Amino acid sequence: MNGSPLVLEPVFFVGPVPITDPVIVTWVLMAVLALGCAILTRRLKLRPSRTQAALELFVTAIDGQLRDIVGGDTAPYRALIGTILVYVLVANWMSIVPGVEPPTAHIETDAALALIVFGATIWFGVRARGAGGYLKTFAEPSWVMIPLNLVEQITRTFSLIVRLFGNVMSGVFVVGIILSLAGLLVPIPLMALELLTGAVQAYIFAVLAAVFIGAAASEGG
Amino acid sequence: MQIDWWTLGLQTVNALVLVWLLARFLFRPVANILSERRAEAEKTLDDAAAARKAAESEREKAKAEAAKTAAGRSAVLDAAQKEAEKQKTSLLAAARADADRLRDEAKAAIAGERRAEEKKMSARAGRLSVDIAKRLLERLPDEARIAGFIDGLAEGVAALPEAARAELGDGSGPMTLAAPRALQDAERDACKSALRKALGHDVDIKVAVDPDLIAGLELTGRHASVRNSFRADLEHLQAELTRHDDA
Repeated sequence: MNGSPLVLEPVFFVGPVPITDPVIVTWVLMAVLALGCAILTRRLKLRPSRTQAALELFVTAIDGQLRDIVGGDTAPYRALIGTILVYVLVANWMSIVPGVEPPTAHIETDAALALIVFGATIWFGVRARGAGGYLKTFAEPSWVMIPLNLVEQITRTFSLIVRLFGNVMSGVFVVGIILSLAGLLVPIPLMALELLTGAVQAYIFAVLAAVFIGAAASEGG
Repeated sequence: MQIDWWTLGLQTVNALVLVWLLARFLFRPVANILSERRAEAEKTLDDAAAARKAAESEREKAKAEAAKTAAGRSAVLDAAQKEAEKQKTSLLAAARADADRLRDEAKAAIAGERRAEEKKMSARAGRLSVDIAKRLLERLPDEARIAGFIDGLAEGVAALPEAARAELGDGSGPMTLAAPRALQDAERDACKSALRKALGHDVDIKVAVDPDLIAGLELTGRHASVRNSFRADLEHLQAELTRHDDA
């Protein structure tokens, strides 16, 4: 690894577009997830198999969590929040695959996810009470709060980015440093800890996204 | 630290595409099957509730039907009991009537048999008395069986109405004089003499022997007869006895 590990080196170019590792890993994850889900949900029945029951449990758990956070109908948010959870979780756990860096260990991926959450917050807020109504929420409880509310929109998005990026990147760095210093088996407990950290960070990212979206939507409700 | 804007853009697009892919291949199918199952469960519950309601309705109907059947059965039993009572009474009355009729018939038969038996007994007694009389008369002199009855015959003829007496021995033919044995000439003459005296003119008689007379004489004309014999007396006596018994 030459230079800063935080700087992405293009693997190849598609025209002027540099294709980096996180993008390739994400494409592979997308293919695997989409294919796996297509296979698993190919023959869903009213009398579920074990696999189907597990899938239903997963979706039901997401719905339950969303219902607790957002309330009301969870269907509009299910795909976005569920995908964020699944993708961040799987991406974080890529750290245990040798030679693969988690896409979430690079700030571009985290920023992309945070941008999507930011856009979704605005989208669901506007959809819930219209553009004017949504904008009015920035003047609550008083117009004096408008700058602070605007800053909050930016800072909480940054906090999403930095939290996920810092945790995953630091974990990868720590494991890499330990591996270079101590040898083959020593990083294993740290890698297990990384799995836990990855799961927790995925849950936190998804829940915070739901909270932001739910806050914007419920303000309109 | 640098941000690769191309990577940022591509990852944004990738994430959005992944949202669509998972929505298409994971969340929507699973949510659909969940809602399908919920709808099916609700339908099953509704069907079960409807079936339970129908079952309860059927049970109520069956209960009502059973009550109706019980009431009908009770009514039929009552009617059957009444009918049985009626038939019993009718049969008893018929049996009583039959018994009365049979008893009356038996009584009548017994009475008839008794009468027949009594008649037979009377006839037998008559025959027995005739036999007794015959036996007794056999002890008497043979003349007494004729001579002792000539006057009585003449009295009988004399006691006849005039027209009857005129008719006897009017010359149209001989009168028949029945006797238990052949008459001797003296006895014949005594008979003729007594008859002439009773009738006032001569008579032509033809003697006929009839041992059944036992003793005595019987005169028979065309339209009248005079009987003065033991047989006639015994027959008269037997007839009187029978009439007395019947009375």
